Amino acid sequence: MKKISTTRSRGRQWASRLVLLLAGFIVLAGFPGGTLALQEEEHESTDYRTYEQVTTMMQTMADHHADIASLQSLGQTLEGRDVWMLQIGNPAGVPLEQRPALLVAANFEGNQLIGSELALATAHHLLHEYGTDETIKALVDEHVFYIVPRVNPDGAERYFATVKGDIKKNTLPYDDDNDARVDEDGLDDLNGDGLLTVMRVEDPAGAYMVHPDDSRLMKRADPAKGEEGTHSVYWEGVDDDNDGFYNEDGPGGVDINRQFQHAYPYYEADAGPHMISELESRALLDFAIDHRNIAVVLTYGESDNLVTAANQRGELGPPSTIELRAFAEASNADAARVGMYTVGRRRRGGGFGFGGFGGFGQQSGEPERRRPPAPQPATTVNSSDLPYLEAVSEKYKEITGIEELAATRAPAGAFFEYAYFQYGVPAFSTPGWGLPATEEESGDRPGGGAGADGGAATRAPNANARQAMGQAPSGMMRRGAPRGRSGPGGAAGDGADLQTLRGLEARGANAFVDWTPVQHPTLGAVEVGGFAPYALSNPDFAMAEELGAKHAEFAIYLTSLFPEVRIASTEVVAEGGGVFKITAEVENVGFLPTALAHGVRARAVNPVMVQLQIPPEDLISGDPKTSFFPSLDGSGSRESLTWIIQGDDGAEIELLLRSQKSGTQTATLTLR
Amino acid sequence: MKANTRTIPKAVIGAVALSLLIFAGSVPGNLAWSQEASDPQHTVEVPWNRWMDYGEVVSTMERFAEAWPEFLTLESIGTSHGGREIMLMRINNPSTGTELSKAAMYIEANIHGNEIQGGETSLYTIWYLMENYGRVEKITQLVDERVFYIIPCVNPDGRDYFMHGTGQGSRTGHVPVDDDNDGLFDEDPADDMNGNGVIETIRKYVPGQGTHRISHLDSRLMEEVPPGEKGDWIVLGREGTDDDGDGRVNEDSVGGYDPNRNFAADWEPNYIQRGAMDYPFQLPATRAVNDFLMAHPNIAGVQTYHNSGGMILRPPGSEYRGEFTAEDLEAYDALGETGERLLPFYEYMILWNDLYTVHGGVLDWTADGLGIISFSNELWNGGQYFTSPDLKEDQQDPFSPITPRQGVANLFFDDLLEFGNEYVEWAPFDHPVYGQVEMGGWKKTRGRLPPRFMQEELAHRNMAFTLYQADEMPMMKVGETSVEKVDDDVYRVRIDLSNPKIAPTVLEAAAQNKVVPPDLIVVEGDVDVLNAGWVENKFAPGANLRIDQHDLKRIMVRNGHPGRVTRTLEYLVRGDGDMTVRYVSVKGGTVEATVELN
Repeated sequence: MKKISTTRSRGRQWASRLVLLLAGFIVLAGFPGGTLALQEEEHESTDYRTYEQVTTMMQTMADHHADIASLQSLGQTLEGRDVWMLQIGNPAGVPLEQRPALLVAANFEGNQLIGSELALATAHHLLHEYGTDETIKALVDEHVFYIVPRVNPDGAERYFATVKGDIKKNTLPYDDDNDARVDEDGLDDLNGDGLLTVMRVEDPAGAYMVHPDDSRLMKRADPAKGEEGTHSVYWEGVDDDNDGFYNEDGPGGVDINRQFQHAYPYYEADAGPHMISELESRALLDFAIDHRNIAVVLTYGESDNLVTAANQRGELGPPSTIELRAFAEASNADAARVGMYTVGRRRRGGGFGFGGFGGFGQQSGEPERRRPPAPQPATTVNSSDLPYLEAVSEKYKEITGIEELAATRAPAGAFFEYAYFQYGVPAFSTPGWGLPATEEESGDRPGGGAGADGGAATRAPNANARQAMGQAPSGMMRRGAPRGRSGPGGAAGDGADLQTLRGLEARGANAFVDWTPVQHPTLGAVEVGGFAPYALSNPDFAMAEELGAKHAEFAIYLTSLFPEVRIASTEVVAEGGGVFKITAEVENVGFLPTALAHGVRARAVNPVMVQLQIPPEDLISGDPKTSFFPSLDGSGSRESLTWIIQGDDGAEIELLLRSQKSGTQTATLTLR
Repeated sequence: MKANTRTIPKAVIGAVALSLLIFAGSVPGNLAWSQEASDPQHTVEVPWNRWMDYGEVVSTMERFAEAWPEFLTLESIGTSHGGREIMLMRINNPSTGTELSKAAMYIEANIHGNEIQGGETSLYTIWYLMENYGRVEKITQLVDERVFYIIPCVNPDGRDYFMHGTGQGSRTGHVPVDDDNDGLFDEDPADDMNGNGVIETIRKYVPGQGTHRISHLDSRLMEEVPPGEKGDWIVLGREGTDDDGDGRVNEDSVGGYDPNRNFAADWEPNYIQRGAMDYPFQLPATRAVNDFLMAHPNIAGVQTYHNSGGMILRPPGSEYRGEFTAEDLEAYDALGETGERLLPFYEYMILWNDLYTVHGGVLDWTADGLGIISFSNELWNGGQYFTSPDLKEDQQDPFSPITPRQGVANLFFDDLLEFGNEYVEWAPFDHPVYGQVEMGGWKKTRGRLPPRFMQEELAHRNMAFTLYQADEMPMMKVGETSVEKVDDDVYRVRIDLSNPKIAPTVLEAAAQNKVVPPDLIVVEGDVDVLNAGWVENKFAPGANLRIDQHDLKRIMVRNGHPGRVTRTLEYLVRGDGDMTVRYVSVKGGTVEATVELN
């Protein structure tokens, strides 16, 4: 990590101080527009920000508020961009690393630009209200905010390309279909509209049909209902490498939000060669590991656990899949499987030449003795933690008003899942924007209607519908999995396409590229169209400011939940003969426990330590010199300790309290 | 015949003359001696009956690299937390091809700091290959056909801690970890309080109140008293004191993790897999190793030496990863079962089932994540102290002086075969926390390591198994070809492709995980390929099995070519002139055949 504020921007700091000074004069001179102008200079934009703009804005914020903000690069990407982290906290008082911190990180998926705006808006809000808002001043004085608005800057930069492809991944060259050729068959803009979408082609052998409720959409034909497939669906493009598949190995890369260690999707192409293989994921993770004072994590990404919190079994809601894209993706499901042969393999008795294999037994094929099953990691939210996470979810919906999301995915390998399941803190993810709540959804449909009328205009309530699809626990579409009813696009027509499209269009978004006929070099007459790139992952930029304000409020609310541990009381009683009885109570006056139940189980959060600073031999009885509590509940919960020690009358003894998420406190006791 | 009778006396004379010169100490060992009865001198003398510290390991590698510069390249692949270089030796004969064009055997050792003899075993392997190149035909062939990458010490900090450190030595590397959650790192290790270089056991005399008593079998041994009885002694653990004044002894030693749980296949967090650290390849050593592995896709065999137990371990490391396919197992079993015959007292085992569950070990990473046949030998087995059937039987007698009861046999062996070198007698000590105590016990070189005089055999037998694996790495060959005219310019071309080795060019596991690129069969020449197919049995009639791929001039074979199998590929082509068929395998090499269409 490097701190950039030292040499590189010294001149800029001088300049900015001058600006501040001038601004101050202007304010003093009764020119109230001064600070406002400054504010707009930092924040103003008409479209999602490029990397350069994000960088400039963060540097400007750090320069203008050098007393409470500093900018660090957590690492550099393949293309040489920095993963910037803005730290906001008043360094006076308790060292920053000992204060509870909120980590806000966004843009893991390169196509989620809104998240960057929301994270930047939170930073902006804190810095600009610090001088005027007492609540915010207190937050910044007592806590720390680590804000990483653009985790995947190389991926995000594709939004600004002349041909837009809606790609989540970074730019690492990667052989997605393992055919010994790298990035050789990407999307091609067949209709020349600068947007990479999908193709549908009339095909009597196709599995799909035009959606009865919106002829722009497609659904999987259900033979059990007498429906006949009429179309195939592919990504827009040609078969560049002549392998029979369209766009199965485009440029890049690795999806940073599929890189982390919980429920990592092993050997999926977009998950990279292994966990934390990428510069971006490693940069963020190393920072988090070095800053165990992070007490809550808020991420903006494609998965959600805020609009729909984990259910009573601790399971997250199912993803909201856009089938039109899933169908196109499924057309390449076998691209990495072509070329498996059994010829000459001895299970078939084939082959000849070197003979004589009978001497080699198969004894190791079946284990001879069985061991008890090894412990497995948790995959669901601990039931003791659910109420805390639910409370946050309710508050999120209350503050933001978001009830309905466009497209979400199952969080296999997502950072926020790591942050809960292995880092052990409350961790959240939201796309950060929503669709207008639909009338039908507000009605009482207890989920029983799923599949009752296939291809119904309204999406069936999430859980039942997605379960009906029989998806694997990860919920991700698995390549090579048998398709048919259990694959993407179960016959019930339970994709999110129709509702999402209606929601987006109700917002006035240009969400859909209408089908246009194109002559394809190998497929013949096709139509090109579909959901517009980025429309499913970002709202109209006009909404960014309002969303930013709401999410800043939510981020501030999260910090109000931090555990806050203190030494509540101490008492010294002289028992005579140089023997003293010491009693101390420690208390957590915050809302959150010092460690979630899963944080304790995962040994991810250090226990609260209380240590009496005396030589071990002076302790006669009672609690150990060093005592630990795995967790201390919030809302005023207390723990009491008692020691019998020997000492000199009038001697002073220090009592040390250390909590990883809530800092260190000491009290001095006098023996008398 | 006449020529022979004349040359023999010359050779004898030459030999006599040379041996006289060697006696005079002026001529080094010479390959010209290879046909003589008496052993040649070694080019580099290394004592194989002593343990080297890290510096000696490196200087030995440097001596090798200087002695055999044509084949050896020494390099550092990374730096440990303690600033020591992690050294790797490449063995390649450049005159037989570039490294990446040949299958490579990767050998690593001593990733666990206290498991040192794999280091000497690795050094022995380099030395043996080089000393015998040009002298022993099989060794020459191995060096010519294969590449070796050898890291004798993955954990140099741990090795030097074992050799020189004040602690008892352990698996860990030296990245600091707060074992006791007090916010301090590595602040209370074991301590060599009496300064004798050994971390001993502490016992205290507490007449009538203890849990232990002096063993009736040997006064140096302690035994637990039965329930309901009291002994005169208590055992207070390892030599050390309360360094940080927190009221506990030896609770936060150096490091505190297991580098061999820090690899990326089946990795699990600390609460499931102790010592895993926060994420795979977080540690300098594991990261350096993986960077090297991933940059060398020609690696087709892995051996990682550990101690102890006498095991030839194969993956998987945990049950729920599931068993390998029958094809992959056949290769493992063929190698492992031969290994059992090369290594007396060693058993071929499945890691999770026969030893214990390991998440995130290097073995699963190389096998599952990189698609390479991988073994881990656990060097040394206590059964080797008394090896003859008679002695084994003697040990069954509970009153034999070599009964294993309470470790009596160990003391016997140490007293009479190692002259008491490995045992420290109990001696009084005034301990700052425990008061008047006694300290004594085994040195750390005892138990996990073989007796020094047995190390060379251990090194040689394990090397022999590893070289057998290296020899059985895949190697593609082209066999018979045939061209048959079907019509004017249409031909049926057949090519036999074979891999005479045990290992397939691509493991099924590798193909399924998509971690090894497919083998490619490329056609060059002025031809159109109309069809291609596999011939089940070229001696029987019948249609071939059509290869259903778009580009028949670049056929992908994802699951590669099986071991010890020949199979026939049949093309139907239109064209004339030369047609070249090239088989390109990342691990099996590249071979080609050219046929003439006429």
